Amino acid sequence: MAKDIPLQTLDAVRQPIETANGLPNAHYIDPDVFNVEKQAVLCANWAGLAAAADVPELGDAKPIEFLGIPLLLVRDRQGQVRVFQNICRHRGMILVSEAKKIEGAIRCPYHSWCYSTEGKLVSTPHVGGPGHNTHDAIDKSLLGLIEVRSHIWFETVFINIDGNAAPFEEVHADLIARWSDFDQPMYHGGADSTFTLEVKTNWKLAVENYCESYHLPWVHPGLNSYSRLEDHYNIDEKGKFSGQGTLVYRQLTGDDGAVFPDFAGLDEKWTEGGEYLTVYPNVLLGVQRDHTFVIILEPVTHEQTREHIHLYYASPQTNDALRAKNTVQWRGIFEEDVFVVEGMQKGRHSPGFDGGRFSPAMDGPTHCFHDWVAGKVAEHLGAP
Amino acid sequence: MTTLQDRLLAAHACDDRAALVGLYTEAADTAGDIDAACFFLTHAYVFALEEGDPASTTLFQRLKAEGRV
Repeated sequence: MAKDIPLQTLDAVRQPIETANGLPNAHYIDPDVFNVEKQAVLCANWAGLAAAADVPELGDAKPIEFLGIPLLLVRDRQGQVRVFQNICRHRGMILVSEAKKIEGAIRCPYHSWCYSTEGKLVSTPHVGGPGHNTHDAIDKSLLGLIEVRSHIWFETVFINIDGNAAPFEEVHADLIARWSDFDQPMYHGGADSTFTLEVKTNWKLAVENYCESYHLPWVHPGLNSYSRLEDHYNIDEKGKFSGQGTLVYRQLTGDDGAVFPDFAGLDEKWTEGGEYLTVYPNVLLGVQRDHTFVIILEPVTHEQTREHIHLYYASPQTNDALRAKNTVQWRGIFEEDVFVVEGMQKGRHSPGFDGGRFSPAMDGPTHCFHDWVAGKVAEHLGAP
Repeated sequence: MTTLQDRLLAAHACDDRAALVGLYTEAADTAGDIDAACFFLTHAYVFALEEGDPASTTLFQRLKAEGRV
């Protein structure tokens, strides 16, 4: 039972790292706890939903199911990206069932109520009887599409489903400031710069693995030649975000020596620096001088996650071969992580596992994430 | 020669909404009474709205003139 999440286990998670346990097994294998975390962690905060590039042109619409909720991502006539609940206000019919261009209005396929791309209800055919398109009981101004609060940052569409979170810029002010150098145009690399990984794991394990550098020499031995463990540092801002940084980022070069163009005006620290952070709860970001990436974790079930990866560049036009090589490189690295997160997921079915103990030196970012999750769950359950 | 009904069914069958705008307008123009005309005008208007067809403005005005929108 979800309400039976023992608050003392959450307290144990929130202890200083030297004595803390990790989140217990139930947070990974119990569907009821997954449902609690849906509300407490994913719906109550700013969760990543999609890339803005999923709807690149005016009128583009893409249905997305997130946490079982049918949503509709739309780029309206003014160019603003919006998220709606993908249902007609009349009978709750799904409005858009496949990605398409909305040429004019969004027409419900059932009784043809029509909505603008801004969500306004614009037509209610025959609602007052055949050929009569108004009725006193139907106030169109009150029956627009249900819009989900959204915010675009890092070319990523974040949504706050319950509508009660503080503004995105407020919640993530420190992170936005930390990466203010990258507050500039970035361009999706296109079809060859996005891919999806289906992973049999709870979404949190993907966050946890991404946050820490401890595993790099063991899981990604190919990085050892130029990016050794001691070249990395932890980032753990309690209650805010966590991840890791490298001091030896090395640009990818093509066979002809080509490199990607740099983002403009970067601080000198980015010449050989790169950082990899989680925007809590479910968006993994990476920044380097010449490209960035976004991984949106889609929690499909308590034991299944879909990782949507997108690569971005400083210029709208980049070298095709180099871009393809970069995608292959990152895909290889992210695929190397799959056996780890799937292995930890299987391990969570071991009744003797108590959430684990952390290395105070190496696991700070993971503990930081656990502390945040436990705090959100405790708050949701009404802990004092 | 195919009837208007046949052409409407054919357009529906291949989801040719641009054609449906014209065909329902034609149906409205040849309807026997104002209620039937407004029924067809409504369909023409809805498909024009969906398609972003500028004819939607004229169709709206015709419906409005009859107090139907």
